[in-house]
Amino acid sequence: MRSITITPQKAFCISVEAENISPDKFAPLTLSQIKSLVVWQGNRQKTLSELFVVEGDDAPAKAEELTIRLIGDFSQVKRIGEGMTAGVVLAEESVGMHAGNNMLGGLLSISGSADDWLAREMRGGKVLVMGNAGNYVGSGYRGEKCGMRGGEIEVRGSAGAFLGEHLCGGSIRIAGDAGDFAGAANQGGTIFIGGSTYLPGAEMSKGTITVKGEAKVLPSFQKTEIVQIDGLAFQKYAGDLVDNGKGELLVGVGSS
Amino acid sequence: MGGLKEMIIKGGIVYDPANGIYGEEMDLFIDQGRMALQAKGEEIDARGLLVMPGGVDAHSHIAGKKVNTGRIMRPDDARQGTEPRSAVCRPSTGYTVPNCYAMGYRYARMGYTTAFEAATPILEARHTHEELEEIPIIDKGALTLFGSNWQVKECVRDKDLAKLAANVAWGLCAARGYGVKIVNPGGGEAWGFGANVKGVNDPVPNFDVTPAEIITGLAQANEMLNLPHSIHLHFNNLGKPGNYTTAIETLDLLKDIKPSRMRQVVHVAHMQFSAYGGTSWRDFESKAPVIADYFNCHNHATMDMGQLLFGSATTMTADAPLEYGNARLTHNKWSNHDIELEESSGVVPMTYFRKMLVNAVQWAIGLELALLVNDPWKVLMTTDHPNGSPFVNYPEVVTLLMSKPKRDLEMATLHEQLPKRTTLAGLERELDWTDIAIMTRAAPARVLGLADKGHLGPGADGDVSIYNLRPDEVDTSLDHALVKKALANAMYTIKGGVVVSKEGRILAAPPGRTFWVDATVPQADADRLMIDLEEKFAKYYSIQIANYAVQDAYLPHANVIRAGLSVPQEVA
Amino acid sequence: MSEAIIIKDAVCSFCGCLCDDINVEVEGGMVKRVRHACRLGSSKIMGHARMESPMIRKDGKLAAASFQEAYDRAAEILLAAAKPLLYGWASTTCEAQKKGILLAEEVGGVLDSTATVCHGPSVIGIEEKGLPGATLGQVKNRADTIVFWGCNPAEAHPRHSLRYSSNSCGRFTPKGREGRKIIVVDVRETRTAKNADKFVRITPGSDYEVISALRMLVAGKGETVPDEVGGVLKADLADIAATLKAARFGAVFFGLGITHSRGRYKNIDNALSLVAELNSHTKFVIMPMRGHYNVGGIGQVLAWSSGYPMSVDFTRGLPYFNPGETAACDLLARRDVDAALIIAADAVSNFPRATAAALADIPVIQIDPYENPTTLHSEVVIPCAVVGVEVEGTAYRMDGLALRLRKLVDCSLPSDEEILRGILESVHKQRQLTANGGA
Repeated sequence: MRSITITPQKAFCISVEAENISPDKFAPLTLSQIKSLVVWQGNRQKTLSELFVVEGDDAPAKAEELTIRLIGDFSQVKRIGEGMTAGVVLAEESVGMHAGNNMLGGLLSISGSADDWLAREMRGGKVLVMGNAGNYVGSGYRGEKCGMRGGEIEVRGSAGAFLGEHLCGGSIRIAGDAGDFAGAANQGGTIFIGGSTYLPGAEMSKGTITVKGEAKVLPSFQKTEIVQIDGLAFQKYAGDLVDNGKGELLVGVGSS
Repeated sequence: MGGLKEMIIKGGIVYDPANGIYGEEMDLFIDQGRMALQAKGEEIDARGLLVMPGGVDAHSHIAGKKVNTGRIMRPDDARQGTEPRSAVCRPSTGYTVPNCYAMGYRYARMGYTTAFEAATPILEARHTHEELEEIPIIDKGALTLFGSNWQVKECVRDKDLAKLAANVAWGLCAARGYGVKIVNPGGGEAWGFGANVKGVNDPVPNFDVTPAEIITGLAQANEMLNLPHSIHLHFNNLGKPGNYTTAIETLDLLKDIKPSRMRQVVHVAHMQFSAYGGTSWRDFESKAPVIADYFNCHNHATMDMGQLLFGSATTMTADAPLEYGNARLTHNKWSNHDIELEESSGVVPMTYFRKMLVNAVQWAIGLELALLVNDPWKVLMTTDHPNGSPFVNYPEVVTLLMSKPKRDLEMATLHEQLPKRTTLAGLERELDWTDIAIMTRAAPARVLGLADKGHLGPGADGDVSIYNLRPDEVDTSLDHALVKKALANAMYTIKGGVVVSKEGRILAAPPGRTFWVDATVPQADADRLMIDLEEKFAKYYSIQIANYAVQDAYLPHANVIRAGLSVPQEVA
Repeated sequence: MSEAIIIKDAVCSFCGCLCDDINVEVEGGMVKRVRHACRLGSSKIMGHARMESPMIRKDGKLAAASFQEAYDRAAEILLAAAKPLLYGWASTTCEAQKKGILLAEEVGGVLDSTATVCHGPSVIGIEEKGLPGATLGQVKNRADTIVFWGCNPAEAHPRHSLRYSSNSCGRFTPKGREGRKIIVVDVRETRTAKNADKFVRITPGSDYEVISALRMLVAGKGETVPDEVGGVLKADLADIAATLKAARFGAVFFGLGITHSRGRYKNIDNALSLVAELNSHTKFVIMPMRGHYNVGGIGQVLAWSSGYPMSVDFTRGLPYFNPGETAACDLLARRDVDAALIIAADAVSNFPRATAAALADIPVIQIDPYENPTTLHSEVVIPCAVVGVEVEGTAYRMDGLALRLRKLVDCSLPSDEEILRGILESVHKQRQLTANGGA
């Protein structure tokens, strides 16, 4: 296994856009070639090594045999692992916006928290966040019909608003709470929220949203039966009926 | 810069059908930005290469409120095809609804030097000109909408043709417009209360006129005013199964009107959308052969294809009820915009699928029309950008027209029932470079009445496109991929004597001109009209008449064409 | 003594109504009287205390400087920045906005408008669903049912009612107010609400649910709707749904009460769907009540120039758009900008406090006719002529209609457009010097 570690030279005031930090981009390159990959800080184009200390194995290897370790605070670094198809990115602390954008495969594991638009338009692979995630986890781009289409996102903490907006496939699991409008316009993905949320499933047409805690439910959802899942009782709703949606919303009944 | 340079284009294989030149090896000269008999200066080596006049697009939605509405509602489209700014270029964004800069660069790259915006309400013409001015390189013009205008309908109802002509002249002047556009006449009015007109003889609510009367009235006024372009008509019932009968019925209304110039009496916009058979989408089929037959037997009408291609499009039209139907049918986002006293319009994103039978039939109809009409001067190549497809896909349309093998390859990927619904599979005709030069250059210029466009005779605009293709060697039927590639990026695009694009790179981005038509009418008619208009502004418009017309500040590169009753008729 | 002249049909450059029937009496180069305008517009056209000289901060204090010195300092600040923000643009001409976009491209900055603190959520809603709208004259001539949701034109757009909506008369609405049903939805009883036929008071933040309930009722699926939604009884909601469906032509006007309450752009998204669905039953349109007179214009100009209507990030040379990330407030709240040019807007007063505070830590260039709280934070202050009074140019009304603003009196100060051109020229000059110096 080839391993590359990246450490910020200093704390960034202006955020850095680093879509080149990805196993696919690194795979065919030697260490010195990796160091000269382009990153942007505002309108300044820089090389990776101008902003980060880059260390590790020199010899090129396939993406699936590559692990990128991010040491230190990456919360101001955007687009980490964008479009990755294989390999592993391990962040020891937090990462900035758009981590795992358009991800197709591999593992993006974040020990801290992830900022907004985590795994936007993801199609495959796995994203694991030990801390919290921001708004728009697994969502789409503005004006686009489809968000995440496949793969798996797990957040051990809480997530922000618009979780899985326009979700078209794949699964998202949030251990804690989710912000407003979780699973809005869900068209076939699966969302599980361990805590509470507000107005889940607005305009959902397909898919399933399960909320273990409390949820304010829209007036356009039809209450159906009580179901038992793993020994817990859930109130089932059909919706969103504003658009004759055929989605399933399950909300925990009583304390768990 | 500026076109003052002299230029010689050496040894190209020139197609200039307007001047009877069909693939002759010859030198071309440009002086003072115009074609000349002699010139010195920079030599461009075009030996053996395909040379044509700059392309002319007579029907495209490139500027104004509905185009910008398309951009605003589609950031998903804007992020396609972005290019950063360069020393010459502003940044480009968008695919079906590109930003203004991208429009100019992309037309120029393909060898096009002129494009006309197909529909502008007078009230919102200021906006259209703001955008037209921002489109670099190409020359432009905008057609003005009259088909649901209150004043027009009242003149038609009163059978006051002189006042109607004055109204058209005034509207063109106020909008700084080029010609008379009619979209689903009367439909915009009906849509004001959520309804539509169902045919040419269906009365328009509240106005005691029919679409047929509006169309014939405006056609007569158009010819009274001796306008360079004919009426430019988007039929009633467009986009609906079975609408070919409306098309024929409408064309028949106009066959006895005498043109004031050597041109058609009516130009039919995007014929493909009005050549539909069937009673519903289920038994939907092509009626292109019937339409083509009509065009082969009559000489008063021209059409543009409105070719549909598979993939992403954004539909936008002044046919607002049609767009509401589109939005409901496809469950897509919908913008609508009604324009007080004048029009309505709508915008809906669309994706056309190969495996969807209706879309496949629509694709075939456009091609059938172009292949079944014998005279290429009657059929302009368009995609009704961005309704059928964005204009950047013109090379695809050209290769489909030139290559039967290419059509067969495409058809193999389409819905299997296609051959039952269209005749395309049986059409052997393959167009040649003369046909293409006519359909993309000479004919659109003639249809629009642009004397200095679409040909390379002395005095014509110094707009030339040179392609990296050897007409003497390339087999356009078999080498369609090569043809498509060469047409996408002209080797050279010369606009007004300036090389603006070379092999896909924009070298210069000078501002283009905007054509508009100033037609004179008898003062007495204008005075009678003003009494009506002043009342309309006092009672109904939400702005003052003094703030209505487009000010000259919005057309810093105007090119005015004079027309009207006092202009003597040209002898051709 | 010079003779008074009357300028007729001038366009008021105060709010998004762009009333174009203003008569102005000018004498001795001064506006003496303003007729037809509301008090807000009148006060703007009459004018008030102005800044007269450019200023540059030296040793902590703003000191008078020449225009060229101000342009040079502004250019220097912008060129030194890795991520400059060019913010405001709502109260100036489209001609100035075009120059501003060019400047943002040149210096690699982020350009955003005041829409970000008003109708930005509406734009995002429109990106989801599209906007079924109309020009205001269409409403005047046809609307028999009008809904004002979360807006209060009686105070914010005083002539809206008479010229375009509730009280206007037109071809199919000869009886004006008498022939119309006016419904107001708000969380408090505003002056607009007091004049309505029906006032619907909803619980703050419940707009989305109320709209969903209305969509259900309009579609005849009322049986699912609970007995009370957002503090409104189902029977009342059913009554409203019936009124909307019974309209011959309906119009919804909405304001910050819905765009900035809980749900934000989702509220607009849902309202747009409601209106789209109402069109299966009758004719309905919807439009935002835009505040500043040309906040609509910057959206239009940005869209045709960059493809996006607000919050455009040009730092990497190609436009990138993602409100939530690239909007002025997002960037300032995250301290992700290192210089700001504030033009034709008072950012410090209009931003949330923490966001405004971020401006204190970066160099700020202000272009404005008037001193305001932003001035106190500024490194460079450049006074300009007042658009629509001293400068002509283009503005877009709240319904997207372009009008040409007039020049009524002369002014010795440069226009926004001229100032931006001055800064652009200085940017080119300084960049040239650096290039030559480096060679």
